[in-house]
Amino acid sequence: MSSSSQDRRGHITIAGVRKSYTRGTEAVTVLSGVDLEIEAGRVVALMGPSGSGKSTLLNLVGGLDHADAGRITVDTTEITALHADELAAWRSRHVGFVFQSFNLIPVLTAQENVELPLLLQPLSKAQRKEQARYALEIVGLADRAGHRPGQLSGGQEQRVAIARAIASDPTLILADEPTGDLDRTNADAVLQMLRRLADELGKTVLMVTHDNAASAFAHQTVHLDKGALAGVAHA
Amino acid sequence: MSLFTLLRRNLLRHKLRNALTALAVAVALFLFCFLYSVITTLKSAVTSSSADRVVVQSAVSLFMDLPKTYTAKLAEVEGVESVARWNWFGGVYRDPSNFFAQFAVDPEIFLEQFQECVITPEERAAWLADRRGCLIGRALARKFGWKIGDTIPLIGTIYTRPAGAAWEFTVRGIYSSTKTNLDESTMWFQYEYLDEGIESGGVQGPKGVGVFYVKTKPGTGLAEITQRIDARFEGDEQRTLTQTEAAFQAGFITMLGSVPAFLSGIGGAVLFAILFSVVNTMMITARERTKELGVLQALGFRRAVGARLLLFESMLLCGIGGLAGLSLGASSEGTFREMFGTQIPGYTVEPLTLVIGVLIALAVGAAGGLFPALQARGLRVADALRAEA
Repeated sequence: MSSSSQDRRGHITIAGVRKSYTRGTEAVTVLSGVDLEIEAGRVVALMGPSGSGKSTLLNLVGGLDHADAGRITVDTTEITALHADELAAWRSRHVGFVFQSFNLIPVLTAQENVELPLLLQPLSKAQRKEQARYALEIVGLADRAGHRPGQLSGGQEQRVAIARAIASDPTLILADEPTGDLDRTNADAVLQMLRRLADELGKTVLMVTHDNAASAFAHQTVHLDKGALAGVAHA
Repeated sequence: MSLFTLLRRNLLRHKLRNALTALAVAVALFLFCFLYSVITTLKSAVTSSSADRVVVQSAVSLFMDLPKTYTAKLAEVEGVESVARWNWFGGVYRDPSNFFAQFAVDPEIFLEQFQECVITPEERAAWLADRRGCLIGRALARKFGWKIGDTIPLIGTIYTRPAGAAWEFTVRGIYSSTKTNLDESTMWFQYEYLDEGIESGGVQGPKGVGVFYVKTKPGTGLAEITQRIDARFEGDEQRTLTQTEAAFQAGFITMLGSVPAFLSGIGGAVLFAILFSVVNTMMITARERTKELGVLQALGFRRAVGARLLLFESMLLCGIGGLAGLSLGASSEGTFREMFGTQIPGYTVEPLTLVIGVLIALAVGAAGGLFPALQARGLRVADALRAEA
């Protein structure tokens, strides 16, 4: 799960990406030609007002949605050219998601939630257990492995979600409002953890947030407004 | 941890809701098991019928007696080995609700023709030696608590004694049967006992013979002998209708009219109603899990995986309910055999019925889970993740 600076992967190139939705009979443009370059191993905060297209851009980078036009390339893979099943396979190997409302499976324990994405990896049962345990250790929750989400605090749930996101050793960590449901203390702990993933494990972290404090933990802050790039600030 | 772990835990997620759905499936499959077994039991009497016996009745109706003189005439027909007289007695034991079948037969010939009727040599000798003796089936003995030596008083409804006096029979043997065409809820007594009463004038009732059971000689074709017998009596006192035992038994099922179809209809309708219940449960389940299905996709599982989880959950739910219902159906075989021993003699739950039941339960599960699974398969991951929990 570790990475040296030489073999860092997770370079994202976004070129001319457009996306619109149809609401009733009206076409709503969400992204109107976004160009962006994200270096591997960086934490990037995507900020902007509601409806600016932050989450849509995150979904497109994660292969959860298809762009109408433009190209998104992660390292050498042009993900905008992949079909649904190819995207699913690509996600399983290269992307870990962290959601605002954690989205853990309530009937599974923390350990099992973290093991879930590992079912898609060519690992033995023992290896899966071991790797999930290690991911929980990284987020400091090895002692809560047998607890179900309902038995954990919000902060702990989000840390389990982060463990799940990193369990399969992905290139990218995509986080959608990861601190949205947390108090300040827990939010800072989560942001710190995301930063460590980039600094220590070489992950590229792309994070949608309304939290101004998040910028302090990011290498780069990208502002979107009305579906277009409004500015990029480097820490 | 495997996807089966998730499947199993999901099944226990809403215990009451799923338990009620499984219970509904269990009740439906229990009902199916019972109704289907009634039909197969009725039909098994036909399939297990003897291949060397034919039954001779009046061509007019089963309820019209044949002349006693036909006994000797039948014995003379080429290919006939033995002839036994059978008369339906129709007696009442204490109350009409205690109904069971009683036949007056020629005992020696009956026992020779029906090798499936198993008694000890001592019982055989005792019955043949006692004009008022009778044989009763094991189930009948159990039902009324009769044992060898007991006296069974029956009030004749077809053959009545002066002042409504009871006929009295002494239990000389309790038989078991090796084939389902001979049930264990019948009483057999000596034809001579009945005939004596009629001939002496003390008993009121028809003087003929209900049906003749004819055993054919080895190598005699059944089609050939039935034609030969009917041809023999073509110009006689009464024309006959001769049928193989299987055809005769099948005639009784035909007399039930559309009862088997009616029973099948009830079973089918119940299963169809249960299907909607399962669809409803699984649609609620799928709607509640939309977000989780989106999470699975986000983690890299293909859309088909979420759909399959729903489909298998539905099949597992119905499978569990079905197995419970079928187990109850199988384990209550003995109880139903006792309860309906005289109406559905030899009630049996066949292994094939249970296999069909399991397949039906799984099919209901598959059909119930199909629509929610297809909906799940059509989910766009971004939309699913936006769904309310």
